[in-house]
Amino acid sequence: MLKINDLKAGIEDVEILKGINLSVNKGEVHAIMGPNGSGKSTLSAVIAGNETYEVNSGSILFDGEDLLDLDPDQRAHKGVFLSFQYPVEIPGISVSNFIKAAITEKRKVLGLGPISAKELLSSMKEKMELLSMKKGYLSRNMNEGFSGGEKKRNEIFQMAMLEPKLAILDETDSGLDIDALRIVANGVNKLKSKENATIIITHYQRLLDYIVPDFVHVLHNGRIIKSGGKELAHELEEKGYDWVTKEADEKWGY
Amino acid sequence: MGLLENIQKNIADNPILINSEAAFSKFLELGFPDIKNEEWKYTSLKKVISYEYEIEKNTEEISEKEIKSNSLNFHNAIIFLNGKIYSKPKIKGVTISNFEDQNPSFDNAITALNASIASNGYSISVDSNTVVSEPIEILFLTKNSSNNFIQYRNNINVEENSEVKIVEHIKNLSEKICFTNSVTLVKLKKYAKIEHNKLQDNNDNQISIDHTYVDQDKNSISTINTLIFGGLFTRNNLNFTQNGERGESNMNGIVILDNKEFADNHTFMDHKMPNCESNELYKGIYLGRAKGVFNGKIMVQPDAQKINAFQANNNLLLSDNSSINSKPQLEIYADDVKCSHGCTIGQLDENALFYMNTRGISKEDAKAILTFAFASEALDKITIKELSSLARDLMSKKLNVNLSF
Repeated sequence: MLKINDLKAGIEDVEILKGINLSVNKGEVHAIMGPNGSGKSTLSAVIAGNETYEVNSGSILFDGEDLLDLDPDQRAHKGVFLSFQYPVEIPGISVSNFIKAAITEKRKVLGLGPISAKELLSSMKEKMELLSMKKGYLSRNMNEGFSGGEKKRNEIFQMAMLEPKLAILDETDSGLDIDALRIVANGVNKLKSKENATIIITHYQRLLDYIVPDFVHVLHNGRIIKSGGKELAHELEEKGYDWVTKEADEKWGY
Repeated sequence: MGLLENIQKNIADNPILINSEAAFSKFLELGFPDIKNEEWKYTSLKKVISYEYEIEKNTEEISEKEIKSNSLNFHNAIIFLNGKIYSKPKIKGVTISNFEDQNPSFDNAITALNASIASNGYSISVDSNTVVSEPIEILFLTKNSSNNFIQYRNNINVEENSEVKIVEHIKNLSEKICFTNSVTLVKLKKYAKIEHNKLQDNNDNQISIDHTYVDQDKNSISTINTLIFGGLFTRNNLNFTQNGERGESNMNGIVILDNKEFADNHTFMDHKMPNCESNELYKGIYLGRAKGVFNGKIMVQPDAQKINAFQANNNLLLSDNSSINSKPQLEIYADDVKCSHGCTIGQLDENALFYMNTRGISKEDAKAILTFAFASEALDKITIKELSSLARDLMSKKLNVNLSF
């Protein structure tokens, strides 16, 4: 589904991603872990199409098509979704209107007919239940005055509504208490299927207790320096990152 | 020649047109203000008064179809065609008459000109204890084969415990320029209430200068909503005076301009009495080479204690060549008051645009949605459904988008 080849990207003259290679197949859950400043959020931003970052070389093939040729909205229509580490507040637009605008545009692009207001509302209510959202949530302005936990739940709610093929969860666990973490993880697990894939970007192993990954990758200084199964996450939690980064630093010369 | 000479020639030909010699000589003495006048510092009349105008001549016929397509088609409608009343409604408890002005008051050159030679307008008087349930639409349509200068002078009087809602719409149907100089005097008696909406959605064929004076007795509530979606040159002057306690004055505005359009909103809130309130919110969106001016003055007189005055002017500049001059002015002579004012000028939030993009909303639509959201706070103050839905349509047309919600 996703194949990243030798991806190099950065801001202005500073190269942050120094050659990323990653393959994700449908039905898989991948975790990308790494210390602060390793390039985790840059990777998710580049996949989603944030123009702040300049891509210098490489490709991001998604179902055979290079995402780098597409605008962020086109990537979304193909089925890419990014759950933001810091969701943006948009005053003046209610959650329901926002979702409606996103769904309407996606259906239009995909050549599907318009969805009735009733159908949309009942679908929203169903997803709200999944994430234990409070009544009145739909008429609140997008992320405005939301607590950290509410913002993250709102991200997963959008994911549930947009039904992406590939969901990238960027530090979705940060700022969540244990109850909210459980709700969010439960929501993500319920949305998993054989047809879609998930990339979890995280600093800690905590979230991975709830959403069990098939593969774990360690990102350091813009490169994936180690990959393994779910047990790698536990190893990192116990030993820290030093033992893997040291080896890599020797290899790449830091 | 230019407008001044056009007027003088017209008066020389027809001296009978003058209502008030005193007002006319005051106008001649002062002349049109220039940018040395503090109130006109960023608003130059030089160009618009250099054009040639006929004074209410060369009118062309306006068809029923044109009336219908430019109207909200309210049951209660006062329609002016080329300055003359064409139709007016019969409303219980409301007296509507043609232009009448026994006391041609003025406070500057332009209102003096209006007082001296205006011969068109309406007078609405709402009896006491009368709530006019349906809004009154006032439509001023003009169509001329040459540039035209026209003046309206209006009176609205709302007696005790009464309430009325108005939509005022000035529209030029021809390609020639129409220069409108209007003065409206609103009087609210105690416990009276008015919502007065001004729709200004012309193309580059319209020049408007409007002066509206609202005089409020105790416990009265006034709201003036100004919707500017175009026009070559627009200058609105809103003046509120609170003469009694517990009065409330609200003014809201949305300005969306493109090309070389220009609009200046000058407001003056005079708090003379204690325990009153005023709320002011103007939102400006500027595209192309459009220019805006906002000047909001709040005066709190020495005896006007316990005043709550709020003012905000927020602007979005959506192009490199658009501009806004925003000037809040507070003069407070009482010591127990709450006054706040704020003015912002900015662009659309790039992070919000990207966020929306990642949800599949195109750049264009994301911009439109954010712009709409920005203006919607001021739009929410309009209580007439037909008008707010028309305003939404006009806004999306102006911003060149199709909104899905």
